[in-house]
Amino acid sequence: MKRNRKRESLRFGTVTKSLVVCMCIAISGLGYVWQKNAIYRLGDEIKKRETALSSAHKRNLMLAAQMAHLESPAQLEAECQQYNLSLVAPKESQVVRLYEPGQEWDMQMANAPLPAQLPPQARGPQPKTLAKR
Amino acid sequence: MILAPQKGRALIVIGALASVFVALGFRLFDLHVLQHKELSALAQANREQVVHQQGRRGAILDANGNLLANSLSVRIVTADATITATQAAAIAEKLAPLLKTDVESLSQKLSSPSHYVRLNPRAKLDEDTVQKIRAMKLKGIFFEDQFIRSYPNGPLASHVIGFVNSEHKGVQGIEASMDDYLEGQAGYEIIEHDRKGHEIRALRNEELGPRDGFNVVLTIDQVIQHVAEQELEKAMVEFKPQAGVIIVSRPKTGEILAMSSRPTFDPTDISGASVDARRNRCISDVAEPGSTFKIVVCSGALNEGIVSLNDQFDCENGAFMYAGRILHDAHPYGVLNVEEILFHSSNIGAAKVGLRMGPARLAEYIHRYGFGHKTDIALPGEVSGIAHPLARWNSLSITRIPMGHEIAVTPLQMLMALNTIANGGMRMKPMIVKSIVDPDGTPVLQYEPQQVGQIISPRTCMLMTTALRKVVGPDGTAPKAGVPGFDVAGKTGTAQKVENGQYVRKYYSSFIGFFPASDPQISILVSLDDPAGGAFYGGSVAGPVFREVAEKVAEYLGIEPQTPLAEVAKLS
Repeated sequence: MKRNRKRESLRFGTVTKSLVVCMCIAISGLGYVWQKNAIYRLGDEIKKRETALSSAHKRNLMLAAQMAHLESPAQLEAECQQYNLSLVAPKESQVVRLYEPGQEWDMQMANAPLPAQLPPQARGPQPKTLAKR
Repeated sequence: MILAPQKGRALIVIGALASVFVALGFRLFDLHVLQHKELSALAQANREQVVHQQGRRGAILDANGNLLANSLSVRIVTADATITATQAAAIAEKLAPLLKTDVESLSQKLSSPSHYVRLNPRAKLDEDTVQKIRAMKLKGIFFEDQFIRSYPNGPLASHVIGFVNSEHKGVQGIEASMDDYLEGQAGYEIIEHDRKGHEIRALRNEELGPRDGFNVVLTIDQVIQHVAEQELEKAMVEFKPQAGVIIVSRPKTGEILAMSSRPTFDPTDISGASVDARRNRCISDVAEPGSTFKIVVCSGALNEGIVSLNDQFDCENGAFMYAGRILHDAHPYGVLNVEEILFHSSNIGAAKVGLRMGPARLAEYIHRYGFGHKTDIALPGEVSGIAHPLARWNSLSITRIPMGHEIAVTPLQMLMALNTIANGGMRMKPMIVKSIVDPDGTPVLQYEPQQVGQIISPRTCMLMTTALRKVVGPDGTAPKAGVPGFDVAGKTGTAQKVENGQYVRKYYSSFIGFFPASDPQISILVSLDDPAGGAFYGGSVAGPVFREVAEKVAEYLGIEPQTPLAEVAKLS
């Protein structure tokens, strides 16, 4: 009986070990296959996106050319005439010119007296002081 | 218990099997070991494919970033005609409406004895049409991606932009001169494909992406270019000249804002354009400049202190005999000072200024202004013009060159000479390319205005400007060139044409000018070759064109008039 029991325990260990090894091999194998599949799947995904990016880029170029054509002075003039928009350039009297503050302006401002240094009449309306009650 | 005959049969079977296995083993050894190198290479070649990718050609932009030329990727329908030949008529009938072509010519293409026939080399196919053709599953029909050059503004600035050939190489204009920058670099991919020929992305071995070409930014402003082209077109209709040019530039920097030439062509379809129409006359045509050249002799003489504006010359009442030949003026004048010689444009007066200056000094100033040399603008096809060396001058040259004869210049050279006067005597190199930028817009190369040298003194320029202002005044030769509200300084030119070595009654009518005279912002040259209809003087033909262009350019650029236009209206 004792010998039999010993044999049984030996068999269980061996079987367990074998099972673990087999499972490791199976898991590694399946993992490898899964990873390979994932690589191919991702590769396909990348390819699709590359294609989409490339077509978007091509479309962008096409639209840029279309936009350039629509914005060209000749095209704009033709559109104005077609829709009878009666657009004309503004007269000189309708133009307000704003000058860029340059160096001269900066120097003028630097030398300009501060409001406190100006005579009272040049400071504009003064706030009324309330009489103390 | 095995019997002897059975044993014998078993041995035979075992022997046969063993020999088969030995043979198979040997074959395997042969394939995997002995022929490994060749066969693995063959297998790889079957799986692998090298895909070449074309780099996109860079775009050409105007000074404000507007697109003047770019490359578009289009699908070209191609056919292996050796496959399609048997069903050419049926395929042609299906494809013709989609490719917008006629059945007969398409059928001819499909039945030609070629493996590679392009069915729509010019037409751009949209994605829907491509899908429709794909869905037909026609044998021998396949697609090819290709770049085509697009010019969204059509013929606008065509002489400056130029065009490319079928191999996408620049042939003319900026396309040719900046070809090295514009051209993209090809890339490649080594891919593996499946049975259907689709790429297995995960097995891509090697990859070097294509590099798009750089973009070239010009100094040309498309609005000013449009104004110049429009006004030149109007002048072509009104005066019916054989040809015409307009150049607009900034005298202080030498930047070319517009360069227009007629006859012209559309770079999108150059097949119908004659060589004559494709020539950029602003840089490749030379002609005698006529009276516009008087600015050279007068500025030279003033600069040398040989004459002052008030020095008087006898203009011989319109006929001056020198070296046995008579020189005429358009109108007879008596005594004129240098200022009057300029604004009345007296040939005899200019000749006498030239005589006082002497040939050596005149030749020196011609050289200093750059005549007889290329301006080195970044455009192909520029010519040097003709300025004979002093040794080849004859006895008449000293009286003929000051009035713009015996010398041939390009319109650009003449404008750059005027720009020197407008720019306080500093000669600038003409500039047509502003910068080179990469496809993301980052500058790679920035071009700065280049000074060639101080030709005349600022004081001389001031004196010249004073005289040239009067050209557009009521007593000058070009009152029609005056721009309301602006001080304009300019010079007219009416040069007789030479045909078969003889002067004929045909003229180059031109006007060059800059404004505001006190602070020159813009200079313009207008030149018309042989205007018809009676009028041929530069002041009456080119002058009004100058005015139209100047008015519109000033309005567009917001150049403030010196006299408010309301006051101008009151005065007029």
